[in-house]
Amino acid sequence: MRTVRWNLALAALVGLAVLPCGCREPSVAERQQPTAYGPQPGGFVIVAIPADVATLNEYQRGADATELTVIDMLFPTLMQEQPDYHLHPPSFAPRLASSWEFSQDNRTLTFYLRRDAFWSDGVPVTAEDVRFAFELQKDPEVGWGGFEIKDFISTVDVVDPFTVRFHFTRVYPYQLMDANDGHIVPAHAWGKVPRASWGQTDFEERLVTSGPFRLASHTPQQTLILEREPSYWGRPRPYLDRVIFRVIPDVASQVNQLLAGQVHVVEMLPPRLAERVRSSRDVELVEVPSRSWGFVAWNNRHPLFTDRRVRRALTLGIDRKSAVDTVYFGFARLAVGPVLSSMWAFNRNLPILPYDPEQARALLREAGWEPSPRDGTLTKNGVPFAFDLLFPATNTIRQDLAVIIQADLAKLGIRVRPRPAEYTSLTARLDAGDYAACMSVWEEATKVDLASAWATPGPAQGSNNFVRYSNPEVDRLIAAARTESDVTRAKVIFDRIQELIVEDQPVTFLYEAPRLVGVSRSIHGADINAASVFFNIEEWYWGP
Amino acid sequence: MLPWLLRRLLSRAIIVWLAATATFALVSLTPGDITQHLEGKRIAPEARERWRRNFGLDRPVPLRYLHWLAALSRGDLGYSWLYHRDVAGVLAATLPRTLLLTGLGLTLEVLGGIAVALVQIRRPHGFVDRLLNTITLTAYALPAFWTGLLLIYLFAYRIPLFPPSHMLSPTGELATGWQRAGDLLSHLLLPAVTIGLAGVGAIARYLRGSLLDERLEHYVLAARARGCSMSRAMWVHALPNALLPLVTVVGMSLPFLVSGSLVVEVVFAWPGMGRAMYEAALARDVPLLMGGTLVGATAVVAGNLAADALYAVVDPRVRT
Amino acid sequence: MTVWQWLRAPNPRLLAGATAFLLLAAASVVGPWFTADPAEILDPRHSSLLPPLSSCTHLRLRDGTVLVVRDAAVVGSALHARHGGRALTVPLEQVAAREDRFHLLGTDTLGRDVLSRLLHGGRISLAVGGSALLLALGVGIAVGMTAGWVGGVVDAVLMRLVDALLAIPTVFLLLFLAAVLRPGLGPLVLLLGFSAWTGVARLVRGQVLSLKEREFVLAARGLGASPLRVALTHLLPNAVTPLAQDAALLLSDLILLEASLSFLGLGVPPPHPSWGNMVAEGQEVLLQAWWLALVPGAAVAFTVMAAAVCADGLSETARGARHETT
Repeated sequence: MRTVRWNLALAALVGLAVLPCGCREPSVAERQQPTAYGPQPGGFVIVAIPADVATLNEYQRGADATELTVIDMLFPTLMQEQPDYHLHPPSFAPRLASSWEFSQDNRTLTFYLRRDAFWSDGVPVTAEDVRFAFELQKDPEVGWGGFEIKDFISTVDVVDPFTVRFHFTRVYPYQLMDANDGHIVPAHAWGKVPRASWGQTDFEERLVTSGPFRLASHTPQQTLILEREPSYWGRPRPYLDRVIFRVIPDVASQVNQLLAGQVHVVEMLPPRLAERVRSSRDVELVEVPSRSWGFVAWNNRHPLFTDRRVRRALTLGIDRKSAVDTVYFGFARLAVGPVLSSMWAFNRNLPILPYDPEQARALLREAGWEPSPRDGTLTKNGVPFAFDLLFPATNTIRQDLAVIIQADLAKLGIRVRPRPAEYTSLTARLDAGDYAACMSVWEEATKVDLASAWATPGPAQGSNNFVRYSNPEVDRLIAAARTESDVTRAKVIFDRIQELIVEDQPVTFLYEAPRLVGVSRSIHGADINAASVFFNIEEWYWGP
Repeated sequence: MLPWLLRRLLSRAIIVWLAATATFALVSLTPGDITQHLEGKRIAPEARERWRRNFGLDRPVPLRYLHWLAALSRGDLGYSWLYHRDVAGVLAATLPRTLLLTGLGLTLEVLGGIAVALVQIRRPHGFVDRLLNTITLTAYALPAFWTGLLLIYLFAYRIPLFPPSHMLSPTGELATGWQRAGDLLSHLLLPAVTIGLAGVGAIARYLRGSLLDERLEHYVLAARARGCSMSRAMWVHALPNALLPLVTVVGMSLPFLVSGSLVVEVVFAWPGMGRAMYEAALARDVPLLMGGTLVGATAVVAGNLAADALYAVVDPRVRT
Repeated sequence: MTVWQWLRAPNPRLLAGATAFLLLAAASVVGPWFTADPAEILDPRHSSLLPPLSSCTHLRLRDGTVLVVRDAAVVGSALHARHGGRALTVPLEQVAAREDRFHLLGTDTLGRDVLSRLLHGGRISLAVGGSALLLALGVGIAVGMTAGWVGGVVDAVLMRLVDALLAIPTVFLLLFLAAVLRPGLGPLVLLLGFSAWTGVARLVRGQVLSLKEREFVLAARGLGASPLRVALTHLLPNAVTPLAQDAALLLSDLILLEASLSFLGLGVPPPHPSWGNMVAEGQEVLLQAWWLALVPGAAVAFTVMAAAVCADGLSETARGARHETT
């Protein structure tokens, strides 16, 4: 009997190997037969993600964008941020908090929580959990990446199990946003974990959630599957049975699988392939205002780049429009200044420096750089104008940009050497100021915050201002803008800061990267907006 | 025999320790640390300092090394900063996947190599032999990352027979039993063939050479004289003899089984140990790197030891 | 078996392999002089991803702009052409210069000529592989000779070092060196050479150990020759054949390794073309322009094959020589 079974098993294996078609994945359409038009419960959506989700606890190191996407489906926030940050500081809709109010002097903010919210183990979500999250956010042992967000919140008091009060040390435009930032996590389950070993605890093992979905399975480096939480307290409840996150590191594969119907959502389409997605009948291309922008960082303390005229000349000497259009296929906007054009604080009257090699030459001559008679290389006091332009290895967009910039600046007699660097050592070099120029990007939050990247870095090592830009007037204005609670007056200050920074050109502003989302046309009801791709995931449904 | 083996084991253990120490020094001296591998995010410098403290990165390198050694002596491989799991857990999850892939690749390679060599040896220097010679040479020369891309282009996109990447499809992930096994196999085939192709050439060429030599050995000639057919003489007498040295060749490739083919795992998004280690190296996840090095170095050393032992069995003179 | 004997009756494999290799090297060295500048980027949006065997025209207008157009034809006083997907008509008096280009292997994603990048890439890949080989041979021979000749503690220490180096997974070694040395061609040679010398050292040591007890070596020592002299005049020449065979295989390994590293983005830094990073660039557009990944990969395969045939030929010669002497 045993041998017979073995033979059968072997035959099955051989059969599978010989007939690969036999084990082709059934297409999703075959599996998900919609019964009628309109929203129906059931079905699943497969989302491509570039890297695996390492932690589902936001308060371990800094969660990246993908991790936050998943965490947002598993853990509640007090309120939900609305996609209106282009008009004013964002507004909020109720989520765990059903309502809130400010005190007379605006220094105290009280949240009233829903009474029907429960954790997946049946324990109610209470003010204690909100206070616990705040405690974690401030705890140095925990080391939450965004802890400076809570700088102006001194304490959080539990008034009663469903009322919680935030005390602020100052009044400013982003109070609601700062109070809301960070997800609420279960105090009763995670409060027992000693803080000393917090960073080295596997929270997936002790996962207690309270979102529209819960974790069904996770195969590291491969797939993470969420399923609908049957006892979800919020409204609306999700239609989808499952949300499946699939790790696909290579963007070209992401697109190929999207077009083949093996994946339904790709959050960051490479612009080169976006046109193909647009022309597909099965997939919709959604363009969302970008929150990341790219620039050439000139090390302002490097002898070559201390002179403002030189930095302006470099910007004038690069055909930015053509370069950006080439690598982004017309999908990206030219960046002009340090505030994204989609933000309320953006100064619409900023001058855009043209592509003007003649003016660039004149400025360089003024700064003492003369072409050498031998090969035309610019030299000053016998030193040639030559430097390494770093970019992260494996990032082809920035590599192409570096190569184009090299060609443009060569026409001015500047010798640029594009140099790839493996990412971690690249960051280390930027932090240490051990570089001349680098192709960099910033991811912006929905908050206008110029302090961390543009204020003069303090004497202590470490600042996000790795460009080492320093202008006392800008420092003064940034400090003023931070405490200005009137939006109109704040806008005037922000406008002036932008003018000053553009005049100084500490970096060459290049592009606002487009956010290109590819969504299968079988998914309905999706409101993909500037706040989040999965803004209304509960209302997504599967349909013909 | 036994003291010889003990001495060997001891010296090999020292090698593993040396390799691990060298790796620790290399990773710790490489610029950048785990807190610096997030792209484009503004993280408060104070937060970075806190993480460094949490990970013990604020201590001097020699002290970190001693801590790691002390933990290791308790059998604790540490905690992976990148994956937020125990290093042992990460290795336990990824190592079997790599073994599966490289194991199948190696099997295909050895079986294919033997088959090709046997066909070739039927008529040495004949047309088939020459043709196969060219083919095996080509297979040997193909860069693995390129073969992989080619196979994906042809058999995943042009003629969609196989999935282009990963180990399981989402449907396979939810399935159990035979359906899951079938799904796994369909994902396994292209990368395993990619690995196998590179080796088939080497094995076939090696085996063909030694079989050619064996043809002229006395025992084969004697068998032929007894009226045994050439192919039978080859199968029964020459092949086992020619296979013995091949066993050591395969023994030497044991480390490859473990460390895996990084490029193949990258091209096929195979979630194995090669890729995990590559990502750990890029992110400076020191504990995971050290764990992987220990496993990898042990495999290298064990492979050598196995090869040595086999030699000793075959040729007792080596034992002195 | 002397060089003269060999030249009279050359081993056909060695001859074929060496010829193929030399042809390839010659094409890589000479070729770039006859092809377009591999770094030239003109009007990239309209010149990228042209298929093999296509031609286009570079128009330089009076205002300095450069357009890359196809199917250019002069009708009357105007030039008609296709620019991207659109028809384009330019009055002749606006055209300052016009140059027709033919792309045998098409253009890449930035509109650069693939053939000229391939040849330049070959120059770089071969130069890097060759220099790394020389470095590995130098270090390997020195260490192997010392270990084999001196023996004792020195031998034990050196060989344990080799073993330990071999036991470190290559990825970390390469990553570390790539990060510390900073990308560039010189550092890449150092890195590849450093990763390859251990095998040579083992081989040479083995040869020295087996040769040093042979009669002619013992005789030379007995006659009072210095160890260095014995090593150079007696040991090395006798180890040449296995070494040459090993070197040919090592060269193919090094070329493959360089290609893999460049494929992962840690090897030859752009804008220098290398066969490995050309495949990586082609991978992005695999479905639109499969030939971009195909061509450089085939070049790698061809080179490795040539080197392997050489190694084969060398081992056949060695075997022939052994049969002659015994």
